[in-house]
Amino acid sequence: MKISLRWLQEFVDLSDLTAEQVGELLSLHVAEVDEIETVGTAIQDVVVGEVVECGQHPDADKLSVTKVNYGAEEEVPVVCGAPNVRKGLKIAFAPVGSRLPGDFKIKKAKLRGQASWGMICSARELELSDEHDGIIELDSNASVGQSLLEHLDMSDHVFELDNKSLTHRPDLWGHYGFAREFATLRQQALKPNGVQQDWPAQQSNWTIVREDDDACPAYAALEIHLPSVPGESPAWVQQRLLALDQRPVSLLVDLSNLVMLELGQPTHAFDADRLQGNTITVRPAQSGERLTTLDEVERVLEPTDQVIADGGQAIALAGVMGGAATEVGDSTTRILLESAAFHAVGVRRTAQRLALRSEASARFEKSLDPGLAVQALHRYVELLQSIVPEAQVAQAPSLSGCFQAPERTIAFDPVAAAQLLGIAVGAKEQKRMLEDLGFVIDDSTSTWQVHVPSWRATKDVTSTVDLVEEVGRVSGYHRIEAAPLLAPIVVPAQESHRLLARRLLQRAVQTHGSGETQGYSFLADEWAERLGLAMTDFVRLGNPVQAGVTLMRHDPLPTLLEQAASNLREFPSGSLCEVAKGYHPSAEGPVESRYLGLVQWAPKETALEGPESLFGQLRTLTADLLQVAQLPQSQVTPLCAEDGDLPWAHPVHGLQWKRGDHLVATMARVHPALARELDFRKHQVACVLLDLSALAELDRPAVVFQAPSKFPGIKVDVALSLPQAVACADAEAALRKAGGKLLDSLLLFDLYQGEGLEEGHRSLAYRAVLRAPDRTLSDKEEQKFLDKATKAALELGGQVRG
Amino acid sequence: MREQLAALREEGLAEVASAQNGEQLAAVEVALLGRSGRLTALLKGVGRLAAEERPLIGKLANEVKAALSQSLAAKQEELAAAELAQDLAGVGLDPTLPGPPAPFGAVHPVMQAARDLEDHFSSLGYVIWDGPEVESEANNFDALNIPADHPARESHDTIWMAEDTGPERFCLRTHTSPVQVRALRELGAPLRVVAPGRVFRQEAQDATHEHSFHQMEGLVVDKGVGVPHMLHAMNSLLEGVFGRKLETRLRPGFFPFVEPGFELDARCPFCKAGCRVCKGTRWIELMPGGLVHPHVLRSAGVNPNEYSGFAFGLGLSRIAMLRSNIDDIRWMMSGDLRFLRQFPS
Repeated sequence: MKISLRWLQEFVDLSDLTAEQVGELLSLHVAEVDEIETVGTAIQDVVVGEVVECGQHPDADKLSVTKVNYGAEEEVPVVCGAPNVRKGLKIAFAPVGSRLPGDFKIKKAKLRGQASWGMICSARELELSDEHDGIIELDSNASVGQSLLEHLDMSDHVFELDNKSLTHRPDLWGHYGFAREFATLRQQALKPNGVQQDWPAQQSNWTIVREDDDACPAYAALEIHLPSVPGESPAWVQQRLLALDQRPVSLLVDLSNLVMLELGQPTHAFDADRLQGNTITVRPAQSGERLTTLDEVERVLEPTDQVIADGGQAIALAGVMGGAATEVGDSTTRILLESAAFHAVGVRRTAQRLALRSEASARFEKSLDPGLAVQALHRYVELLQSIVPEAQVAQAPSLSGCFQAPERTIAFDPVAAAQLLGIAVGAKEQKRMLEDLGFVIDDSTSTWQVHVPSWRATKDVTSTVDLVEEVGRVSGYHRIEAAPLLAPIVVPAQESHRLLARRLLQRAVQTHGSGETQGYSFLADEWAERLGLAMTDFVRLGNPVQAGVTLMRHDPLPTLLEQAASNLREFPSGSLCEVAKGYHPSAEGPVESRYLGLVQWAPKETALEGPESLFGQLRTLTADLLQVAQLPQSQVTPLCAEDGDLPWAHPVHGLQWKRGDHLVATMARVHPALARELDFRKHQVACVLLDLSALAELDRPAVVFQAPSKFPGIKVDVALSLPQAVACADAEAALRKAGGKLLDSLLLFDLYQGEGLEEGHRSLAYRAVLRAPDRTLSDKEEQKFLDKATKAALELGGQVRG
Repeated sequence: MREQLAALREEGLAEVASAQNGEQLAAVEVALLGRSGRLTALLKGVGRLAAEERPLIGKLANEVKAALSQSLAAKQEELAAAELAQDLAGVGLDPTLPGPPAPFGAVHPVMQAARDLEDHFSSLGYVIWDGPEVESEANNFDALNIPADHPARESHDTIWMAEDTGPERFCLRTHTSPVQVRALRELGAPLRVVAPGRVFRQEAQDATHEHSFHQMEGLVVDKGVGVPHMLHAMNSLLEGVFGRKLETRLRPGFFPFVEPGFELDARCPFCKAGCRVCKGTRWIELMPGGLVHPHVLRSAGVNPNEYSGFAFGLGLSRIAMLRSNIDDIRWMMSGDLRFLRQFPS
């Protein structure tokens, strides 16, 4: 939305303010100004000049050689190609050194051998209009040397506002609505918008039929006769439109645009001679009905679109664009001017469906005041007759429907309003503000009855708080002083899974050096298939942001793997983690759980097992996180092929942590086939997944302190030579059993394979610490432990090494 | 014996004097005065001396021992002083040599912003509350006073779930605002709550647009709550984010779920005379907010005649970008360690 300062000043006096001050008033009280543009800066160097000599170029038929006086000390030679250049003409002149639109700089030049110090400009070169048949001919009394902007009286500022910040204000889609805001803010009188016309007594020749009262609540049509084809608009109309980026077309069309920019109400002029019959019907389009709009595009319509039709066919797309067949043209002397109210959503849907957003549709979408429809007719006629005095209104307008927004009265307590806003503004002042905005107030009781004016009643002002807003913004929100809450603070409720997530993430990052990342919640169908996930098991998107990415992820691992793969080139080893929601379908709707996922990778050469291995590190990490989660007593079991619902995981190189029946954590190498497909060719890669929602639900007892024993412990090293197939966990369990209550700690400190061992065996060396709380242990007790360990080793098919 | 003692004394003193360091000196001490040192060995011959000689030799031996001990102590001190001087001279340690690499570890900048703000609001007695990302149309739009025909509901703005997702229409929440209603329903009024989380829009990606990003919603509902309280909460929040007080101003803004609605601008924290971030205006638009619309309170089962409230929203992704001068929002979801590692926890 663009607003011209000059135009505003026709209705309200802002002459004591700079453009910046006006802009600030808008931003602080109405809606944010994105930009203030100074009109004409692109042509500010252009001055009024006079052609004092003019002759034929000796070497070019179409060029003239002139001398131009532009108020400088000396007249300058200028070569000009325009057919209308002649001696004595006042011209728009760009001297050497000036800049023209498009950042085009004028330099001294030679044209076919003749010096040319400057340029005589056409309207198009100055972007004043599309005219380029010749140079601009200025009034003969124009004063030479004056800046062209001054001469044309063009200086202006244009405020650009974001349309989104105005969507709720149907009254702010024209200058007059903004003028009303300023009149209220500055406590000035608002000048009326033109003069009410006296319509002829004769009844309209036109009959209007509105088939759907919702789609078109009101429709007015006015027939106007012109003495001759009016042609182009006068310069002031064109300039006004150009300043707001509207292209001038012809007087009849330009006046529609002018009225729209002023009042916010779109109107449309049909060439009355091109209409069939005398009935205008507003009706739904027939399915497949065709209409060529003003932009020369043939549109195929649907019954959700509303059309205007004459006796024959559709002649306009209601609220969006007129039809080409009934457009005003070079022979139009009789018009039918339409001014109507259309249903906001209907217009928006049609404009959207046809990708045809026009100035008109953008306004109708905002639920315009139906009262504007008649006001626009008055204003159009007034403007037209000021330019073409012989223009005649043929008959009274044909009016159909209700030209008034629904009546609305709202109860309002000014004392409560001031309190809510925290602004000391009295009842009298509040009344003044609301009345200036057009509200009518009955203040005979302490709670007022406030009647909403038609231009605010279509959707914007519906309840007390809307009036509080009016008082607040007119008073100025910058007047509000911050104040702390005085209510007592109660102990806040907490969500355990959120706190847990935070604690575990911090541990993964700080202790284990992982990098927290964020990944998309979406999963490509192809990805899910490659991962071997069951495609029926997903929450799906209806309108995905990207074709083929229709699934909501179950957990963060797939995206983590993808992100990890993209880091391989720069980082031969690394770790990424994310706390994220996973989504699972259910009959009641999607169920969300929170997960901590972690992917870690290392060069392929890294040991496959043992404390230095990737697997070993992640096992430690997972166990550590569970300890931090106060869940150290979970059972660890190796993955087996039957845990088939982990298609991304190696069939057996993985572990699961369970508490009772609850699976709380899974850790595994990524399936080697998948890893290869993901470009982890020179890397090992493994994942950890913690179900934080499940974890948070579990009973997680606080740590119970145990006083350290006062008695020394005995360190016993014992190495077991066992067949490869015996799992380390089994060896450890056997030693724990052997130690019984006396076993204080047990640590695997060496793993050996090779010379000195029986074929197919490996050696697991443990350091056990035995300790009793109440005594120093004897050698006998140590020996007893060693005997039990020896026996256990035998049972496992091996022996204790000497 | 006398001669031997005298020789021991002379030789001993010379040996002490020639010791280069503590170790040598200790060896000299053992060799001279130790349990099987030369003095002890010599004194073993005392028994063979005449009785009247013995006290004299004994006295002499003590003198020798004392002299040697004294010399040893002096030498020890000298060596210690030299060692200290050498240490202080800085020899043997290049302080510019790097240590071993620390564990890597990084917290995503958006999550850091969320964490800082959670801590901030926790200290002010706010609940930190969560809501689902797949949200019902009723909670995401209806309860928030967003009209049924509002353009935001259309598929070019909102990501909808497939039709068979559940018994009602579901979408990916377009803001954290539905948590206002959820938290009020679950916890009741009076309430102070903030809800950080991921939100989604149907949006083409570029340097400043992303379909998945993070917001934080704030809501306070109590008796007698008005705009001054909202302004206070917003100001304190910015102080928490930027570590100092910033001048702020309220402007009119429009959001269906608040009335009146506001935009809060803050003085640009990055410049004194206009810069790229504030586009030369010296103000940056940071936070929308407003008084909770009565419709929203009613949707959550709270009586708007009894309670009022304020709500505000904050773009966590935007705050993170502002704080760390991140010029392209697409870094946020890239998982690129070159980006993430710049944000140690």
